[in-house]
Amino acid sequence: MFNRIAIRYKLIILLGLSGGFALLISSLIMVYSTYLNQSKSSIQILHQLTDIISENMRAALAFGDANSASNILASLQANPHILLAIVNDQAGQVLSEYRSHLLPATHAQVHKQALAQILREHADTLQQTDQFIQRTQPDWMGVVKPVFFEGQPIGTLALLSDTRAMWKEFRRFVLMQVIASILTVVLLLFLSLKFQAIFTRPILNLISGMRNVAQTKNYRTVLTSDHQDEFKHLYDVFNSMLVDIQERDERLFKLATTDALTGLANRHHAMEQMHGMITRAQRTGQPFGLIMIDLDFFKKINDNYGHQTGDLVLQETAKVLLSSVRDYDLVTRLGGEEFVVACDDASLQTCIVIVERILQGLASHNIEYTPGCYLNVTASLGVYSSTLHSADTSIEAILSAADAALYQAKDAGRNTYRLA
Amino acid sequence: MTLLASSVYADHDVESRLTTVLIGRFASYVKWPPSERTHFVITVLGDNPFGTMLDELYHSKHIQNKPVELHYAQTLNQVGPTDILFINLHNASGRQAAIQFAHQHATLSISDSRGFADSGGIIQLNIVEQKTQIKINHAAAIASGLKIGSPLLSIATVLRKEQP
Repeated sequence: MFNRIAIRYKLIILLGLSGGFALLISSLIMVYSTYLNQSKSSIQILHQLTDIISENMRAALAFGDANSASNILASLQANPHILLAIVNDQAGQVLSEYRSHLLPATHAQVHKQALAQILREHADTLQQTDQFIQRTQPDWMGVVKPVFFEGQPIGTLALLSDTRAMWKEFRRFVLMQVIASILTVVLLLFLSLKFQAIFTRPILNLISGMRNVAQTKNYRTVLTSDHQDEFKHLYDVFNSMLVDIQERDERLFKLATTDALTGLANRHHAMEQMHGMITRAQRTGQPFGLIMIDLDFFKKINDNYGHQTGDLVLQETAKVLLSSVRDYDLVTRLGGEEFVVACDDASLQTCIVIVERILQGLASHNIEYTPGCYLNVTASLGVYSSTLHSADTSIEAILSAADAALYQAKDAGRNTYRLA
Repeated sequence: MTLLASSVYADHDVESRLTTVLIGRFASYVKWPPSERTHFVITVLGDNPFGTMLDELYHSKHIQNKPVELHYAQTLNQVGPTDILFINLHNASGRQAAIQFAHQHATLSISDSRGFADSGGIIQLNIVEQKTQIKINHAAAIASGLKIGSPLLSIATVLRKEQP
């Protein structure tokens, strides 16, 4: 499921989730810390109040003065959070008690029972100095401390306060935290929308570039990126891959279209190219010429000098042909010692000029088959010119005509040409 | 009748025991002028209402960092230097003389006689139904050179002007 989601949405989700999770952890810690602080603060205030009341209560307890004890406890009315205060003498009898008007009698009874239980359970503890019992319940918290007179315990003071103020403050904090969290998550999502582009834009640009290369097959394309990070490396690797593909394509093209020995166009490629030339010439009405060349007595060269020299002769002949034709003429080795020159946009006169250059070139070209040993070759040529034939002639017919003219040249004694 | 008498005696016993405790506790809130006495002396003048309770309670105890010494006297003449004088005399003239004695010797006078504080005595202690009622003649205490702590004053009925 997650794998089907676009990277940009994954990034938004991940950034949002990461931020949200961090915020949640932080909020939980903050809330728990606040709860502890509030609770600690509240119980601390209760301890302080108990200490003050105990100090004032000492004389009243020492002399069993219930009225004074009541007067002292009455001062607790100033603190609306104190629900119940009970002073017990050393015998466990209630000397005085204070009950807030906010505390219903039934609840007070429950609290008194809870206090009585604490006093029973911790009677020994409450005989010792600096000892106290504290309880924190969901709706109240209480502290019980012994009161000492001249080093002797003379009673206990118990104070109970409600936790409403604490919870109110705590709820207010949680509400603020929730609001802050929601705002932060919204901000995070907004920022995630912006930040995801930092990561997705280079990827999307790369995908777009790859798609363009796939459609155009233009492997010379170079994709650029402003990034200096891993994206830069990704782009570099991709560009390097395109260069490799381009070089491989060129290599394959060369292998598929050229003759391995001479470097000239091979038969298959030449046939395609000549077909295109003829079709274009027939469509535009421009003249087209084809010269078929066959080396004279090549078999004897092979027989007398060996195939290595024969191959050298073919390579040197290719050089002569290439130097004799125009830049845009197509020179092809059809096979063996047979070559073809296709002359695009060439009149008969132009073809004859090229033929003459070939014959002269071969005649003047000394081939050094071993150091200091030279030989010369001649060739017979058949020339086809579209100016002498109908326009709708096929390539096969042109080749056949040129071949026939070539044999006429052979028959005429070689080292010459004949027109088809 | 016998049961009623028994109950009355029991209440009296409790009150006497409570009084013995409170006599010592008063000392915690009173400051005497410097004295060279090595003991803290408590004297009961008149009939001893406590029996052996005082001895039992204050035996080997310390008040004001001094070991407690108990004296019992039937007449004022028998009273020596003392820190606390518990006056249990039944005639007013005797009580007044004792108050005068205490006043002259920087002694804390205590009594459960009605009108004691109003007559110049320093602490009048009454226990009614096991509830303590304390009345302090602060002016008399000051005149005697005694300083009474505010916690004790805060729980007592305080007479601030010297009574006639």
